[in-house]
Order: sequence, then C-alpha cells, then structure tokens
Amino acid sequence: MKNVSIRIAGANGDGVESSGALIMKVASKSGLHVFGYRGYQSIIRGGHVWYQVRLGDEKLYSHGKDIDILIALNQESIKYQKSHLGKNAIVIYDPSKVNTDEIEGKGFRLVKIPLLDIAIKVSGDPIMRNVAAIGATLKFVGIDLEVFKGVVKDMWLRKGEKVVKDNIDIATTAYNYEGVSTVFGINGDGKQRYTMDGNTAFSIGTFAGGCKFYSAYPMTPASGILHWYAAHQNKGVLFKQTEDELAAMNMAVGASVGGVRAMCGTSGGGFSLMVEGLGFAGMVEAPVVVVDSQRTGPSTGLPTKTEQADLLFVMHASQGEFPRIVVAPRSVEECLAIGAEVFNLAERYQCPVLVLLDLYLSERIESIDGFNVDPVTIDRGKLVTSNTTGERFKRYEITEDGISPRGIPGNPGTEFIAPSDEHNEYGDLISDSLSGIDEYVELRRQMHAKRMRKIETMLKNEKIFVPEISDPSAEYFLVTFGSTTEPVEEAAKILSERGMKVGVISFNYIMPMDSDKTRSMLQGKKLIDVECNYTAQLAQVIKTNTGIEIKNRILRYDGEAVTGDDLAESAEEVIKNFKG
Amino acid sequence: MATINVNPKPTYASTNKHVWCPGCGDYGVFAGITKAITDLGLDRSKVAIVSGIGCSSAMPHAFSTYGIHSLHGRLVPVATGLKLANDELTVIGTGGDGDGYGIGVGHLVHAARRNIDMTYVVMNNEIYGLTTGQASPTSFIGAKTKSTPFGSIETPENPLAVAISSGATYVARAFSGEPAHMADMIKNGIQHKGFSIIDVFSPCVTFNNFNTYDWYRSRVYKLEGTGHDASNKIKALEKAIETDTNAWEKVPIGLFYKEDRPTYSSLDMTEKNGPLVKQPMPTKDVVKEIMEEYR
Repeated sequence: MKNVSIRIAGANGDGVESSGALIMKVASKSGLHVFGYRGYQSIIRGGHVWYQVRLGDEKLYSHGKDIDILIALNQESIKYQKSHLGKNAIVIYDPSKVNTDEIEGKGFRLVKIPLLDIAIKVSGDPIMRNVAAIGATLKFVGIDLEVFKGVVKDMWLRKGEKVVKDNIDIATTAYNYEGVSTVFGINGDGKQRYTMDGNTAFSIGTFAGGCKFYSAYPMTPASGILHWYAAHQNKGVLFKQTEDELAAMNMAVGASVGGVRAMCGTSGGGFSLMVEGLGFAGMVEAPVVVVDSQRTGPSTGLPTKTEQADLLFVMHASQGEFPRIVVAPRSVEECLAIGAEVFNLAERYQCPVLVLLDLYLSERIESIDGFNVDPVTIDRGKLVTSNTTGERFKRYEITEDGISPRGIPGNPGTEFIAPSDEHNEYGDLISDSLSGIDEYVELRRQMHAKRMRKIETMLKNEKIFVPEISDPSAEYFLVTFGSTTEPVEEAAKILSERGMKVGVISFNYIMPMDSDKTRSMLQGKKLIDVECNYTAQLAQVIKTNTGIEIKNRILRYDGEAVTGDDLAESAEEVIKNFKG
Repeated sequence: MATINVNPKPTYASTNKHVWCPGCGDYGVFAGITKAITDLGLDRSKVAIVSGIGCSSAMPHAFSTYGIHSLHGRLVPVATGLKLANDELTVIGTGGDGDGYGIGVGHLVHAARRNIDMTYVVMNNEIYGLTTGQASPTSFIGAKTKSTPFGSIETPENPLAVAISSGATYVARAFSGEPAHMADMIKNGIQHKGFSIIDVFSPCVTFNNFNTYDWYRSRVYKLEGTGHDASNKIKALEKAIETDTNAWEKVPIGLFYKEDRPTYSSLDMTEKNGPLVKQPMPTKDVVKEIMEEYR
C-alpha cells in the first residue's frame, strides 16, 4: 500500500482545518482513500493547531504517526512538529514567515516557496497562501491538478468566476514552482467514495434509524451531532438545544414516553449530569439513546483530546440496577450501521442504549464505500396503539421475557403512569403506603426481576454481544474496543508483514456480554489488551464476565489519538516480553 | 386510528388511594384540576399529568389519564419532551415549591421563555413536606424548620416575578382554600396557548404551622375586580412583588399576567407539520440524498 501523511500546522484562524478538508476532498475525488484527524486546542484564535491528512491507495485505519509532508504556516509549526517529521520528510514553508535553521541538515527536504507572495500577487488575499501550499502538496503526492480545478469549481463557482480563477492560478503557480516534484506518486482508483467524520456518520445512521428527537447542550466532542441535527431539522426531526444536560436527558425521556425515537448526546462531563435521568429511563423502561463522546478526563480534562475512560462509568452510571445496552462503534462506517440499529434495540428491550464515541472517532474523517440503507428496518418492539378490551392497561405487565406492552399517551385505552418510583403492573406506586407490606415486598421482587430478565432475553435473541475475531489462527491477539479498533487492525497488519502472527479481537457491543461465547473465544489465547485509559477498563469488564485476566497491556492516556504504526511498535515490545 | 374512548363518560379519577395527610392543601388542587378538565370535557387519553418528586408530585396517580411521575426538579423538561413529542396532548405539570422553585428552578426559566404550551400547577407550601419539614426556597425569613431551627436567614424566592420576567405568558396564583377560584385559574391556564403557571398556596398541615389556611384566608384578596390590567407586564410585576414590600399583609391571588405569544411548537419548523409522533420515519431516498452531500 502506498500512502502519505500530510500535516498542516499553524495557528487557529490560519485556515488549517479548511486546508486539510480541501486536500481530502481533492484526494477523494481522485479516488484515493483518506483519513483525517485534527489536533487542536480549547482556544478560538492563536495557539498551535494542526490537521493531519493521510492519503492512500487502500483503506486507511489511522492518520499515521510520522509526517511525510509538513506544511509549516508559522515558526511554531517547525518548533512543535519537528519531532514528528518522518525520515526524508518534505517541509513546505514560506521563507518570509518561517526559518528552518533548527531542522537543516537532518535529511529533510526543505521546500522554500513564497506562498504569501504568490497569494497576494494573484488575489490580494493573504489567507490564499494555503491554496499555494496545497498546490505544491498535490504535486508531491502526484494528484493531477485537473482534479483540484474541478473541486474548486464545485465549491466556489457560487462566489464568482474570479474566486475560482484565483484559486486555480495560485495552486498552479505553486504546483509548478521550482523544487516541487512528484515524490509519492499515489494513484487513486477513480472510485468516488464518501468522506465524513464519526459524528456525521452516527447522525445519519440514527436519522435513518428513525430518530425524531435530539436534545443536547453543546459540548466538545459531541457537538458535531448537535450541529448535524440542528442543520437537518427540515427533514422531519426535532432538535432541541437545552439549558443543561439535565434537561437534555429528561426531555429525551419525556419524548420517548411520548412515543418518538428520542436521543440525547454529550461528553463525559455532561453525561455526569444525565446520570439521574438515565436511571429514570431505566425505571420507566423508556427506550432512549444516550451518546457519550468521550474526551480526556477527569473533570474538564483536555476538552480537545481523546480517551476511552468512560466505559465503566456508562456501564454503571446511576443508582440501582436496570438493563442497558452499551455499544462503542469501531469505525466511521460502523457509526452508520450501529446508528441505524440502536433504536430497534432500545424499543425492542425498552431500555436505554448508551453509545460510546470519543473525540478520535467523532472527529476523525474517513473515506467509506457507502451506507447500504435498503436493509435498514424499523422494529418498534411491543408497541401497542390501542386497547379495546375494557380492562385497564398493564404497561408494566410481568411477562416471561421481561418485556411489557408499551402504550403511547394520546391513544385511547392504554392510559398508564410512568413512575420513577417502584410500581405495580399498571404503573401505580408501591413505594409509599404499600412498601414493606408482605404482598408488596413480593411485588417489588417480581417487578425488579421482570425488568432485569430483559438482559437474558436480549442475550438469547441477539447475536451481537460477542466480540469479533479477525484471524483465529494467529499466535497473539490484540484485544480492544471502539475507536481504537481500526488503528489496532492496522498495527496487526504491520506486525504480520514483519512475520509475526497477530490477530485482533474487538468489541463494539460491550454490555451485556455473552460471557460463555466470549470466554470460549478468548480462552487459551495470548492476549494483549489495547485501550486508551489507565486502568484497562475493557480488561476489567472481560475479567468480570469471563474470569480471564489479560496481563499484557498497552494503555494510553496522553490524550493523543493512537495510530497503527505507533501501536505496532508498542505491541512488538510487549510480544518480546510477553508475560505468560 | 379511531379515537373512540374506552370509557365514553370519562371519570378522571383513578382508584388509587390518596397519599396526602388529612387536611392537606393538595386535595383541593386535585379537586381543582378535576373540575378544570371536567369543565373542558377533555378526553382522558389526551391528557398527561407530569410531576416531579414530593407530596404534591403524587398527583398523576390520583388520575386515570396518562402521566409521568418523574424526578425531583425535572418535571418541566420531562413535560417539555412529552409535549414536543405530541402537541395534541394537554400537558399539566404538578409539583411543589422545592421541586419547581428549588432544585428545578433553572428549567422554569427556560420553559417560560420558550413558551412551551403546558400548564404548570405548583403546590407551594413554603416547606419540604415529604422529607419531613425542612426550609424551602419560599420559606419566610425567620421560618423555624428542621433545617433552620434558629429561623431562616434567606430571603424567599418570588416565583411569580421569576415567571413573569422569564417570559411566561400566563401567570396566576390561587389558594387551596378558594377551590372554585383555583379551578378557574387552572382551567384558564389550560385553555391558554403557551406556558401557564399557577402558583397555588397549598398549606402543609403537618410541617408548616405558620402559613396555615387561616393565615392565608385573612390575607388573600382577588385581583379580579381590583382593576388590575393583566396585559400590562409592569403592573403584573408590581403585583408580583407586592408581598415583598408589604410584609405579606395583603396577598393578591388571581391572574397576574397574560400575553398572547406564539408557542414553541407553533414556531418549530418540524412541529409546524403536525405532532412529531404522527410524522413518518424518513424514507430511504431521503437518507440516500443526504449521503450524497458527503461524496
């Protein structure tokens, strides 16, 4: 596989992100696979930000550890990025802005282009220097300038011919500039793929799955979902920005009891506020979907950095016990598929479904082949729209599978109360004057057991609660979940190319876990746990469910997104010193 | 789907035993809500009573309508979500002063400014009853409670002033000792399109021996007939803060403020097309079209 990692670095407000997006768009149009990731700070102007775009002729699983091409928009970009430069890296810079003394004579190819000068001469607009840098980059990668011209026309024609011409002239000048030549020569297959980030994919997936209501308070890195739903209100969904996450959660429960597919989303800090409402949803058996896009914690932590440290939190959030499903999509593509399925699970089992994303998945951009929406079905479970028996409706009827018929306010005959207190089959309280009386002690036992039985039912009826194994004949297995899966798959591939037999066992649905099937998959294998937290939370969950302790671990908690090559190095080290 | 009621002559009461202490003001509120919805002839399957936590929050269980008995302080967002899901429902919030003016007061402000079309009846007894008698946000300075054994040193909240200045479009006060007047306030609140709040003095006969029926009876007077102009926001605020300036010598009840302003649902671009719950799931073609935006 041929691939190249390009990093654009500068200050907030320099157009770093839009430049990365443009490169990805052009590359994608030329049929290359792309993977984008943004390194940014909790600051609106200034600071040091970068955008890494990796382009390849095969599917990419991470943004790549080492930089092949650096576009250094300011001096800090040299200072902070020099340690990330790969062997023979190309550094594109404007000598009027950037001095490269500190990286001279280290084998890097330093390409001096008067970016600002070119931009101002053609357009008079200094920000267009980025277009010059992109022009040169395209030449180094080996992308035909004609593709760029087409993209620019699509994007900017509405702003007038001059804007398009300026873009093309500036890019062309840099493309043909002295010292700029094709180095990587990566050819696309001409296939037009879709490119999007995880938040967008999850939004589209849940939309396709019938989400009608999304309530949220802005919080990085979940805000992308908020922006998507806000922008698509004209498609028959109701988006509600709330005063806080307490309201976001409780509105979603209210809407869910009201009969619509309702979701709320946030990051860990906001999820902390949602916890009480989550338990409420568990008690009234409201099918809600709750998204926690994790960032580096605890507390405010690193708002613009990633982590997978909320796993145990979402699994155990709230007092008391109730059934819940916890799922961590493993890729942008899976955000679409799982997004389309979560409401079916929520409504089938009348329980909250918790979706664990993280900054690395929410904000990574991947090219994907597509989303097959045709097989998406809507299963509303035991929804009852009328009751003409004349008997009072038992919303919380004790059933063998634990799932009760569900009525919707507004429909005749299915009237009930949804109470956060313990209740009987009708929803009448047994918490106040009846609690502790023998008959109601027994009823409490039965009501709680009814709810909890849904866990057995879902384990029996669904095939999703086991991890996936990539290559059962491998000698070592990297065990992981969620967003870290793709970099881990890349690492396994790199190690296999080096002659090691390394497979991957990855989890998306984590709770409940089919203990027997998971145990028989893991048993007797040489396992290496890979996750982005300090306490090996997935390994803890595996141990609790299967009794298997994974002693070999690669744990990251520096906030930075892992890459395949980076994990391969660590895994090689662990394999060398493997603890039996 | 046909909307034939199972029970053609709706009786709104459930068969549940009431949980309130003998003499509790909340019985009066139950009677007031019952009279209001009976007078309006509402279909009980189209009524949802949403409460928080506290003595007064047992209210949904007294009715045979739909209901949600939610969390302490969260009845307003739960009711908002339910109303946004189905604009055809008559949503009545029933809670107490601790619930609505203490732990949940943040939501009150936002539901008011959004003008969510719901009716919020707050049974205000200036005490925490279900937790056996601690000071509430409306307890008076000097009130001796279990949490203020030496007398409260906090100025009580003025919920009507909060509601009016937050943008509520129907703001009234009633008293459990004046049941017919209260039923009117509630009925008018239900009929009002927008966020209606009725603060009801609902005496706690067990834990508040200061703000008693007699105490109120000797103080309340009805705004109706005083020439109060409920369409004038400044005048409404003046009336709302009257008790702050006259040491509760005279206490106005009745309609303080009323304004016609479009409801949230009438402005929301999705709800404009009818109740959300009745809107179809997206077609596969719409999803495919959206996907193309990302190619």
